[in-house]
Amino acid sequence: MSETRTLLVCCGTGCLANHASEVADALEAAVAAAGVDAVVGVEASDAATVKRTGCNGFCENGPIVKVHPDDISYYKVRPKHAEKIVASLGGEPVKALLYRNDEKQLVTRQLDNPFYASQRKIALRNIGEIDPLVIEDYQERGGYVVLERIIREAVPPETVIQELIDSGLRGRGGAGFPTGIKWKTAAGYARGGGADADGGQLPAFVCCNGDEGDPGAFMDRSILEGDPHGVIEGLAICAYAVGAEQGFLYIRDEYGLALKNVSAALASAEERGFIGDDILGTGRKLHLEIVRGGGAFVCGESTALMQSIEGQLGEPRAKYIRSAQRGLWDYPTVLNNVETLVNVPYILACGGAEYAKLGTARSSGTKVFSLVGKVNRTGLIEVPMGATLRHLIFDIGGGIKNDRAFKAVQTGGPSGGCIPEQYLDLEVDFDGLTEKGAMMGSGGMIVMDDHDCMVEVARYYVGFLAEESCGKCTPCREGLRHMQAILTDITEGRGQPGDIELLERLGHTLQQASLCELGKTAPNPVLSTIKYFRDEYEAHITAGVCPAGVCPELTDFYIDAEACTSCNACKKACPTGAIEGDKERAYVIDMALCISCGSCRAACRFDSVCTRGKARGKAAAGAGTSAEGKVAS
Amino acid sequence: MEERIREIAQRYPAEKRFSLAVLQDVQREFNYIPPEALPLIKEHLGPDVREGQLYALATFYKALSLKPKGKHIIKICDGTACHMQGSTRLITAVQLALGIGPGECTPDGQFSLELVNCVGSCALAPIMIVDETYHSKVTMEGLPAILDTYRPGGERDV
Amino acid sequence: MSETVKLVIDGKPCTCEKGDYLLEVAQRNGIRIPRMCYHEGLSGLGACRVCIVEVVEAGRSRVVTSCIYPVLSEIEVFTQNEKIKELRGMVLTLLARLAPNAEGVAKMAAKTGIELPRLAVKEGGDTCILCGRCVSACEALGSGAIAKVNRGVTKEIATPYGEPSSECIGCGSCAFVCPTDSIASERTEESFTIWGREFEMQRCSVCGMPFTTQAAFAFLQAAQAEWEPGAEQQPPLCEECGKKAVARQIANAGKYL
Repeated sequence: MSETRTLLVCCGTGCLANHASEVADALEAAVAAAGVDAVVGVEASDAATVKRTGCNGFCENGPIVKVHPDDISYYKVRPKHAEKIVASLGGEPVKALLYRNDEKQLVTRQLDNPFYASQRKIALRNIGEIDPLVIEDYQERGGYVVLERIIREAVPPETVIQELIDSGLRGRGGAGFPTGIKWKTAAGYARGGGADADGGQLPAFVCCNGDEGDPGAFMDRSILEGDPHGVIEGLAICAYAVGAEQGFLYIRDEYGLALKNVSAALASAEERGFIGDDILGTGRKLHLEIVRGGGAFVCGESTALMQSIEGQLGEPRAKYIRSAQRGLWDYPTVLNNVETLVNVPYILACGGAEYAKLGTARSSGTKVFSLVGKVNRTGLIEVPMGATLRHLIFDIGGGIKNDRAFKAVQTGGPSGGCIPEQYLDLEVDFDGLTEKGAMMGSGGMIVMDDHDCMVEVARYYVGFLAEESCGKCTPCREGLRHMQAILTDITEGRGQPGDIELLERLGHTLQQASLCELGKTAPNPVLSTIKYFRDEYEAHITAGVCPAGVCPELTDFYIDAEACTSCNACKKACPTGAIEGDKERAYVIDMALCISCGSCRAACRFDSVCTRGKARGKAAAGAGTSAEGKVAS
Repeated sequence: MEERIREIAQRYPAEKRFSLAVLQDVQREFNYIPPEALPLIKEHLGPDVREGQLYALATFYKALSLKPKGKHIIKICDGTACHMQGSTRLITAVQLALGIGPGECTPDGQFSLELVNCVGSCALAPIMIVDETYHSKVTMEGLPAILDTYRPGGERDV
Repeated sequence: MSETVKLVIDGKPCTCEKGDYLLEVAQRNGIRIPRMCYHEGLSGLGACRVCIVEVVEAGRSRVVTSCIYPVLSEIEVFTQNEKIKELRGMVLTLLARLAPNAEGVAKMAAKTGIELPRLAVKEGGDTCILCGRCVSACEALGSGAIAKVNRGVTKEIATPYGEPSSECIGCGSCAFVCPTDSIASERTEESFTIWGREFEMQRCSVCGMPFTTQAAFAFLQAAQAEWEPGAEQQPPLCEECGKKAVARQIANAGKYL
């Protein structure tokens, strides 16, 4: 039987890093070569085509190649496998490239892979299935149907907005503000129905926030790369609903592939008349323009982002008057996150009420998470709201790497918090996470094990924010400077009694007195780790010990000769050549050369690199002295 | 150089909102913002734009640099996932290997070392990007060989 | 058309026009909210956070920055309850550590009674509190000699590249608006030096007193020419002689009425 087959090669940034482009080239060459054979009668591959798609989310096992319509998924494909794959088309799949599930069985179909089995893809519905550079691919899967219908039938904007309100969709960028309400407010002000009503139609703007900055989150990048038309259609519908004729897509400059794909998609959408000077021949206008971010985390904050679009410093302004009333150049402006927008065409196609059935009562629909850190299966996943942390980490993520103990999961990026083991059964939605002192944020989920020090994690986030704060208001700029100094002191053995309380006091000042959300949420990582791991802080301060064996100034490393298998991994990993040993002589660490970086411990697969408190106890010596005058720069 | 900067500025309409875009393009061309650039950019963008504002932008946005960079720019991702998977160790190892800290350039101008925020390749942590090439799951063991390819005469030193 | 809004500040019933800034409303009603970066001529900085107050609106409480908070609905305001005292005290303490040599800040911080020796003084900290008034003043005048440089904890105020700025006109507005006298300048009969540049003084065409820099005078003339093309250029006059000239004009005008 001869059938048209499509080889979908994942070409997301992750897979490209693993040479996916070469794999696609090799497959194309193999198909072409087989095509020659086809003339002499090999039918199996005569009509195979190779498509380069966006990210499948399982980057760790990339490059991924899928065969349609057989529904075969291959992982870790190398160019050398191309011929084998092409030769197998129509026959038995190539076993060596299939995934093995937790029971060590081979799985062929994507949905039989435990990583994908319980996912529900809405925001990611097209990614990995289409070539993002081919608009027809998007249209074949129902793309631009909704926009075209709304515009051709001149559906009243209120109807569109009501559908969004009914769906219960909340902004996926972090704050979780109801999208429909935001649109309604802006539409009201634009039409002159607002408080400052003078009856005339005001210009309005729509923006897409693609300045994904939360470390550990990459769903927006993936969506922009893999389904740019989905985002453009969402933004165009938004513009229709609020009466905007101009819009901006603010995208991080570091996201090269996303910028390239979105810019190509804008050109083809304009060519087809979905945007531009005369949308679908109706005389409507919509100009969409890409603005490249400059590498400033704070520009993910809505008002800072708008300042940045206007060509100003990315300093937030007070939100006593919302952007929906006075945003870009003081006109009504709607700013939505990438993931929010890509949901819009789907919601309008299936109906708001239908969408609202998914998820929890207060958070409808699905959410994309990037599950990373110390889990066996890392990647981008999309599940209905309300899934438990345990389900995400242990079923989809396959549990903790090397069977270590789960310690905490950090959600919501630098504005979020760390959630400990006792809340693993927490149902994840906007409010559930906030109640536990964390945040949904953009959906980053970083899993930590017993080798992660929670004080160090807090110090890391505060350091990040101290650098990324815009520096405009006193509590955020100065508060973070002091919190960073104190946390550095604690991790380096100079902590003092009262430091924990002082951190809490500074944290509350930031929460209440800062200008923008970055400052108000900045202490969350500190406050949540103090709340759930206070004993770890105390161990650093009073005993001068880092219980997780991470903080170099408090930790000595040694090799347990009993457990050591002389595999040599630690020696190879040591950047200072401090480890000596071989099959005959036991491995030992030369403390004079050791910088306590922990590379050996990370490399050891037998738990034979152990830690103990620093022999002399620098901490004890430091505990009495004041950290005054000592400021981390 | 001045002619080139003028050409870059003229890619954009003379409006304040294109300040950042022009600066980014200048950065891309020269690997930094030369001091000569600000007056020329101001001249093109018009009276709404002030030199002080351009300088503020150049120091505010991390993508822009006022100092020239090395021939090969090593970016180590210090996003949370990479941090958890040992980016700090990687930074230490690169520092030891090249003798430069983050934000510095080797005396011979061969390498610059930068810490960058999450590049969104968390599943492949730790990530090191040299020029445009992503090196994923970099190990201490594999690091020296990667660096060697960028040293003078190395296969990637082009 | 404006609308009147009722509000209560520290128990005192007040009224204002909708959209008025809370700090100014309080001031008109005899309640002075402590502030640092607020300046009546430069709106909307909101950077120092000293003027924070608690606002209760329909049972919902939040801390707002009174200098940029527009009163839009009926609210109750607390400018110095326990919560605000603590927060403002912390903010002032942070400012005092940032600018240890700023006397006014030290005085205000001392009054809060908060002593936190654990919070270290900023290395190199002197008198600047990074409020940004000077930059706003410079920009408001249409110049761009100084800028907010860097971000986050490394933020500072400087001229581009730390070099004397070609855009500076030596008007001294930045130093004039600085709440902590942090911008050094030197003035003699002949010259004015600020931000590393020396300017020649402009003398009054009537009394001969030096009253501004030549560069600033030329800048003002150019600005005026732009606003009123074709208007007659005014001779350099100091404030005093300028007033007299205007008075004479008015008096002369009266003669022909």
